[in-house]
Amino acid sequence: MLEEALEHLVRGIVDHPDEVQVHDRTNRRGRTLEVRVHPEDLGKVIGRGGRTAKALRTVIGALGPGRSVRVDFLDVDER
Amino acid sequence: MTESTSPEAAEAPPAEVTATTSAPASDETETEGAPGAAQNGVRRGEQDIRALEREGEIAADYLEELLDIADLDGDIDMDVERDRAAVSVVGGDLDHLVGSEGAVLEALQELTRLAVLTQTGDRSRLMLDIGGYRAGRRATLTELGLATAAEVKKSGEAARLAPMSPFERKIVHDAVAEAGLRSESEGEEPQRRVVVLPA
Repeated sequence: MLEEALEHLVRGIVDHPDEVQVHDRTNRRGRTLEVRVHPEDLGKVIGRGGRTAKALRTVIGALGPGRSVRVDFLDVDER
Repeated sequence: MTESTSPEAAEAPPAEVTATTSAPASDETETEGAPGAAQNGVRRGEQDIRALEREGEIAADYLEELLDIADLDGDIDMDVERDRAAVSVVGGDLDHLVGSEGAVLEALQELTRLAVLTQTGDRSRLMLDIGGYRAGRRATLTELGLATAAEVKKSGEAARLAPMSPFERKIVHDAVAEAGLRSESEGEEPQRRVVVLPA
């Protein structure tokens, strides 16, 4: 659900919604949602001073279970 | 107070605020310094109402799908208040979408405004409320503003309030003005606070 919620929230605020991908990477260290967007949209999802990234993390944190979920932002070309 | 001036007019330097204006010379317009907002504020008429209604619709779609995905119950009300779109999510147990001190609500409002910007190309000043949180805060803060003004009138000494968000400071400034006193803001975000000045 979190993955889908994050994907929806990000798709709504970028110019290339079809290129948004969210991957759930859970390992022993915890859960990370990795958001990949078109390179031109990376600045958008991070926002001025990281404002938008913070807003996305706040909402995902509120929807998620008690344990904290990490959210990373990358562009689609990054490895 | 009339509504003939846009809220952005309050951004003018204090020197330009005429003595007859009851509006506090404050920066609490919540435009976050949006350069295009000043022109938006003064545009009026049916076309603007329609644009604001469209903002509300985009916002409602964005939020409704989020509620669906998160399996949360909630209805979405849309309205146009003064010169901005107002969207409220009501019903259900929405406390965690408000968050501590409204932090999640602020985050959702920010994202919703960005969703509108993405679709319309225009910056939005849309107001989001969830579970009546803002409405409740408004009542509490209006009361606080009026009570503080009464206290300052009595003591003749300025009173400093706790740090608040721009939205909250605006409500307090309005209440103080209504009580016939002036107030200003001091300090830097997020420690910025209202100071109520004696007459």
